[in-house]
Amino acid sequence: MAYVSMGEAHRRITEYLNRFCDAVSYQDSSTLCRLLSFSSNSPPLLSLADALNLFQDASSSLIRQSDKFSEYGEILAPLFRSLQSYRVGNLVEAYLAFDKFANAFVQEFRNWESAWALEALHVVCYEIRVLAEKADHKELTCNGKSPEKLKAAGSLLMKVFGLLAAGKGPKRLGALYVTCQLFKTYFKLGTVNLCPSVIRSIETARIFDFEEFPRRDKVTYMYYTGRLEVFNENFLAADTKLSYALQYCNPKREGNIRMILKYLIPVKLSIGVIPKDDELLQNYNLHEYTKIVQALRKGDLRLLRHALQEHEDRFLRSGVYLVLEKLELQVYQRLMKKIYIIQKQSDPARAHQLKLEVIAKALRWLEMDMDLDEVECIMTILIHKNLVKGYLAHKSKVVVLSKQNPFPKLNGKPVGS
Amino acid sequence: MNRRNRGSSSSSSSSRVSNTYGNRQLSDNPRAGSGGGAIDSFRRRADVVPVKRNNDKDESDNKGEDLTDVSFIVGTCSSMCPERERVTRERLRDLAVFERLYGNPSKSSTDLAVKKFCRTLSAADVQASDVRPLPVLEETLKYLLSLLDSREHPFEVVHDFIFDRTRSIRQDLSIQNLANERVIYLYEEMVKFHVISHKRLQSCSGTSISPMHHLNMEQLAKTLTSLYNIYDANRKSDSTHENEAEFRSLYVLLHLNPSSGVMGEPLSLWFRKLTFALVKSKEICFVRNLLRFYRMGNYKNFLSRIASEATYLQYCISEPHIREMRSVAVQYINSVCYKLQPYSLLRLSQNLMMKELDVESLCHDCGLETCTDSDGFTVLTTKQSTFRSPEDKFKVYDLIGIERMKR
Repeated sequence: MAYVSMGEAHRRITEYLNRFCDAVSYQDSSTLCRLLSFSSNSPPLLSLADALNLFQDASSSLIRQSDKFSEYGEILAPLFRSLQSYRVGNLVEAYLAFDKFANAFVQEFRNWESAWALEALHVVCYEIRVLAEKADHKELTCNGKSPEKLKAAGSLLMKVFGLLAAGKGPKRLGALYVTCQLFKTYFKLGTVNLCPSVIRSIETARIFDFEEFPRRDKVTYMYYTGRLEVFNENFLAADTKLSYALQYCNPKREGNIRMILKYLIPVKLSIGVIPKDDELLQNYNLHEYTKIVQALRKGDLRLLRHALQEHEDRFLRSGVYLVLEKLELQVYQRLMKKIYIIQKQSDPARAHQLKLEVIAKALRWLEMDMDLDEVECIMTILIHKNLVKGYLAHKSKVVVLSKQNPFPKLNGKPVGS
Repeated sequence: MNRRNRGSSSSSSSSRVSNTYGNRQLSDNPRAGSGGGAIDSFRRRADVVPVKRNNDKDESDNKGEDLTDVSFIVGTCSSMCPERERVTRERLRDLAVFERLYGNPSKSSTDLAVKKFCRTLSAADVQASDVRPLPVLEETLKYLLSLLDSREHPFEVVHDFIFDRTRSIRQDLSIQNLANERVIYLYEEMVKFHVISHKRLQSCSGTSISPMHHLNMEQLAKTLTSLYNIYDANRKSDSTHENEAEFRSLYVLLHLNPSSGVMGEPLSLWFRKLTFALVKSKEICFVRNLLRFYRMGNYKNFLSRIASEATYLQYCISEPHIREMRSVAVQYINSVCYKLQPYSLLRLSQNLMMKELDVESLCHDCGLETCTDSDGFTVLTTKQSTFRSPEDKFKVYDLIGIERMKR
């Protein structure tokens, strides 16, 4: 902490108080945002924090001494306490005080008729989430405690969401931003089962169109709801939402595009859409999918298994492992097709007959030992799910392929059952 | 933060103890005698982290409380049922068959009465004398589980009693925020009870069975979740508790089918939270393979792996899926096999790990006809159009290979 004289400290605090109150009086949202944005670590805020730490509790007397300031005493006092704690790294105290501040601020926001302070409210939502995450992280690493501050932040966000969603016009439009903050919170906590009720509120809005929300918020919203669809394996819905997010995402935000692709690619693969080359994967640094895509192109089961194993941890953490595992059936289909093509070249008349023994041999080459009963089982599945057209002459131990289109493409639909 | 739910202003009972580092019923020795008030400040994590109240306290949620400052009750009731409850229920003739002294519906005893589950419990109403401390809870559970072998009463009655009384045990554990290693053992036993009930209820008949079954599943899921929280609370670095891998594997088996409606989060999310050691454990690898086979429809590997590798608990939970996979196999074979080559039931029975007569019965359950071929073998002619899913949701056919499983 830099050295500050009492006089200088007094000046800084009073200056901030004036700025705050003026911002409110003149409905100057952007100034207010700057005044509340702790995470920006802006020099004015940091120097204010130093001043507060010098003054300690006396700062509340500074607030009380003037009518102009004391009107917002309930908001300002905890705000100051929070900033003080934040500055000295006492994150739990900083969070607790910020929570009090936020509640008081929301109360005040309710009283302001217009939505002039919407942006500032958004800043408060952002800050409380980030602060809670930091506090929890510190508690976890230092004391082994599990995250509760973030849960509490979630409650506040829910409150704000309710307030905005029930409002009119611009207030309503501001609800989507808070929704996204809620999503981030729930995803971090792992309590994604709390998302559907929020989603319902947004999607049953009858008064106006989803399209009227700000673009940035729509993209974020579609990203998170798309991810939820991936977790629930609703691939068509996931495709729609994640593709929307991709389409409208700012192309300069490569990090965000990568995040969307991380989930969109497994979805696309699941509905049979395979990239023709590796350019996309390379451009966005998604190398973990390279071997998977190759395995699909070549019908190489061993490669698929290997790729899943190699990146098992990463895939499990991002939640796409089960989706990728399911691609196995498509890889089998590709393998059968290859066998068929090879047979066609050597003996066209009988190419449409796939002997189970031949399939077993091919699998052995791929280091997968299966007895004929297992091979028969796999073929049964492939035929039933319409990945292979034909029938199984099990006594003759042969699969007889249909003459026409024996390996139907998925055509944008997931493998049926 | 706020103590609003705690009713702390009415703390007349001297056994409410402020908890920062206070007397806790913790002991380093699992199942050691009386669990005296050993203050164990090295186990702060287990003390202070709340066990998530997923079980039965929907009323007094302690959200948003500052946990270093909350008081938890320390129970003092020394018998399985608090005295005043027993007396009241005797008077009201509200005694279960197991609680009646010589069959007398209005007389019980301290050896027989067991505290009932009380839904409308709020933290402010609870007295320490109504709450059983850990050693008493351990004895109570032991007693309850001994009733499982009772031949005197039909299983539904036994189940119903133990179901309710174990719920009360969990309630007492939750009120006292007990979450140490001994508690793990209790929860594991209660999970086992629900799993075995899950199986045994299927062979019972009667109109009340289906809702009973459903409620049992619900409590199974809740108890499992609480158990997982306690495992987490007691974890040191990346360690895994003795039976944790098997009990975690049960969750996967419960959620094989995403649309089964069982409470809980999707598996993709659930796996994210597992420790590295758990992911690599034999039991979790086993169920992940089963999951893969199930989702693919690979009936052969699914059934043969269960038969050869599942523990008894895993088998019990998998029974519905075993039924399902068998019907799926019949469906697939009926739809893809060459009409002029009927499928031998003997062969089918080998693939489905069933007796041949059972396979025949299964085919009929699925609306398909079987017949005898010219060599005298029973076969299934394929491409029949009458396939349907079996109606009886609970009919169970033995799994060949189940004999090796320890109960």
